Amino acid sequence: MTLAMFRVMALELWRDRGALVMTFLLPPLVFLIFSAVFSGATGEDIQLKLAVADQARTVDSRRLMAAVVADGDLRAEEVASDEEVRRLVRAGRADAGLILRADPGSQGGPVLIVSDPSRAVAAPLTMARVQQAMGRAMPDVLLARTLAETAPAFGGLTPVQQAIAGRTLQGLAKASPAEAADSGLFQREDISGARKGGGTIAYYAGAVTILFALFSAMHGALSLIEERRSGVADRILAGAAGMGPVINGKFLFLLGQSLLQATAIFFTAQIVYQVPVLAHLPMWLVTTLLVSACAAGLAMAIVTFCKTRDQAQMLSTFVILILAAVGGSMVPRFLMPPWLQTLGWGTPHAWAIEAYQAILWRDGGIGSVYMAWLVLGGIGAAGLFLAHFAARRIR
Amino acid sequence: MTERPILNVWRAEHAYGTRKVLRGIDLALRPGEIYALLGPNGAGKSTLVGAICGRLKLSGGEIAINGENPFTTASARASLGLVPQEIALYGHLTVRENLETFGQLAGVKGRALREAVQRSLHLTRTIDREHVPVKHLSGGYKRRVNIGAAIMHRPTLLILDEPTVGVDQDAREALDAVIRNLRDTGVAVLIVTHDLEQAGGLADRVGFLREGRKIMEGAPRALIEQAFGEEMEIMVHLTLEPDSAGEILMAGEGLERVGRTSVWTKLDPGGYATAGRLDKRLRKAGLDPREIRVRQPSLQNLFALVADWSRAA
Repeated sequence: MTLAMFRVMALELWRDRGALVMTFLLPPLVFLIFSAVFSGATGEDIQLKLAVADQARTVDSRRLMAAVVADGDLRAEEVASDEEVRRLVRAGRADAGLILRADPGSQGGPVLIVSDPSRAVAAPLTMARVQQAMGRAMPDVLLARTLAETAPAFGGLTPVQQAIAGRTLQGLAKASPAEAADSGLFQREDISGARKGGGTIAYYAGAVTILFALFSAMHGALSLIEERRSGVADRILAGAAGMGPVINGKFLFLLGQSLLQATAIFFTAQIVYQVPVLAHLPMWLVTTLLVSACAAGLAMAIVTFCKTRDQAQMLSTFVILILAAVGGSMVPRFLMPPWLQTLGWGTPHAWAIEAYQAILWRDGGIGSVYMAWLVLGGIGAAGLFLAHFAARRIR
Repeated sequence: MTERPILNVWRAEHAYGTRKVLRGIDLALRPGEIYALLGPNGAGKSTLVGAICGRLKLSGGEIAINGENPFTTASARASLGLVPQEIALYGHLTVRENLETFGQLAGVKGRALREAVQRSLHLTRTIDREHVPVKHLSGGYKRRVNIGAAIMHRPTLLILDEPTVGVDQDAREALDAVIRNLRDTGVAVLIVTHDLEQAGGLADRVGFLREGRKIMEGAPRALIEQAFGEEMEIMVHLTLEPDSAGEILMAGEGLERVGRTSVWTKLDPGGYATAGRLDKRLRKAGLDPREIRVRQPSLQNLFALVADWSRAA
């Protein structure tokens, strides 16, 4: 009896070729993508995108600029001014900024790191990478800095010097780890108007919204398969209207459902973390409508192309997982390898997250989100069109 | 029966690859007529219904509903209501909500929708359950609501695909009453069924399909009389299983066992006189019949006869 049931299950899978392929082909594909996402985000391969401006224009600042730009562990781009650096970081087009304010050999924090608190980990990573670049490309400057820092502390070992060294050591001992790590080379500046912690919250509110919008939309769209199985589709197809109103009705429901989910998520973010949703309500509403339409359209398209519930469930699970991983719903995209970051722009998640961050974190206007709106709306419209096209094949 | 047919099928032909499933079928159905389409599995019934519903394009011949091709014309499809074999309803919705939903999907709105719901509830005799979720209804009620959902837009042609699957005798009689109600409102009803008893009792005309051809058509009683003349069906129900000598005796009397039951049957023009003689002979041989019944031949007998002719041909 056990074997009989085993055989039934095996034959069922074998004869549903779509489900069979998805069962055995998609897992290794997901593994490849996930391993790329997570190893890239937690390993040594993080390649930060930096905007660098040289305001000092000394020989050594030029050498440092050249070293940073040439460093394979960074994706550094030289820009004309410190304002441009701040603009790029604020717009999210650079993970962090580097402003060479004075000669790197000088004291008093000649290198300014411009960071976005929503990408807080980028600042310390930038510091480490720049120090590494200096160590490799300009050890003389680094040594000069070390001597300049250590000589006052230990030079000559005279009683006076010992006293000075003692005070320095006491001062370092009292300094916070972050201050000690700066070691006098760096200073740090958060982009102006940044709200502590809010950027990360806005990021994940957007990430969770698109994740759940797609998840719920897929689940809802599966009812179409049930209707085909139960004969409801037969009944409807025998009528004058065909499946068109069914597809449209489901699309609208899924859109409304996602809109309500997003409202719940962002309402919580507003109340608990003071993410300024109400202050940007019209822009937030348009973005959320388009995110919801995108999820609904995508889900309807996927489900109408599947013939069985197994196929649809399997495919939707993989689509949700892959898009979420690549699009930044699980790990911030700036921590991913560059090729995966580029690939991420092919997912609605990346555009949704980008749009929410632009509105709620960077106080951006229509100019900063119109592309995301176009992409999200386009995916939704294309999904709805494909769903209608696929439904016409159901006869 | 002199009105123009609602449904006309002319020389319908269709093939799946090289396998021909419809081989030139003609069919006409008039308002207020119940037509039962009969035939074994694979006879072409489902394909013909699919073509009538506009869901497949015939490879030959034509179909018209109220003069329009259902494959190409939405208004032709708007004239028909389909009652699928499955309970094609939303189980978590009440009877009324289901009727409203399918009415709206058929394009009925506003006051017309409210009136259509009331009409459907009355015609299908489900008004006493209108607020009950369909999943909580009995099989018979579900079948009636299944019909109700198909008549919301007042179709002139109603197609029922195996409407009595899985229902008991009482529920079947209730369903028959619903179908007669609809016929009386002028709807042309096409029933696709294996239930020969229902077809015989309900249909004004029946058509037998076999291997894609219509091999017989007409009013059930007329067809039966034509096929069997004065013959009556004699059914013998034995108390005990006959031994081999008993089986030889039964066969010698022209009796055939019905499936694996203890019922044996034959057609005989002698009717009750033959039954009386048979009773004596069987008792004398110690076969002890529990019951011997004499009745008019049914569509079941006709169906078996037609199958025999078809096999011989």
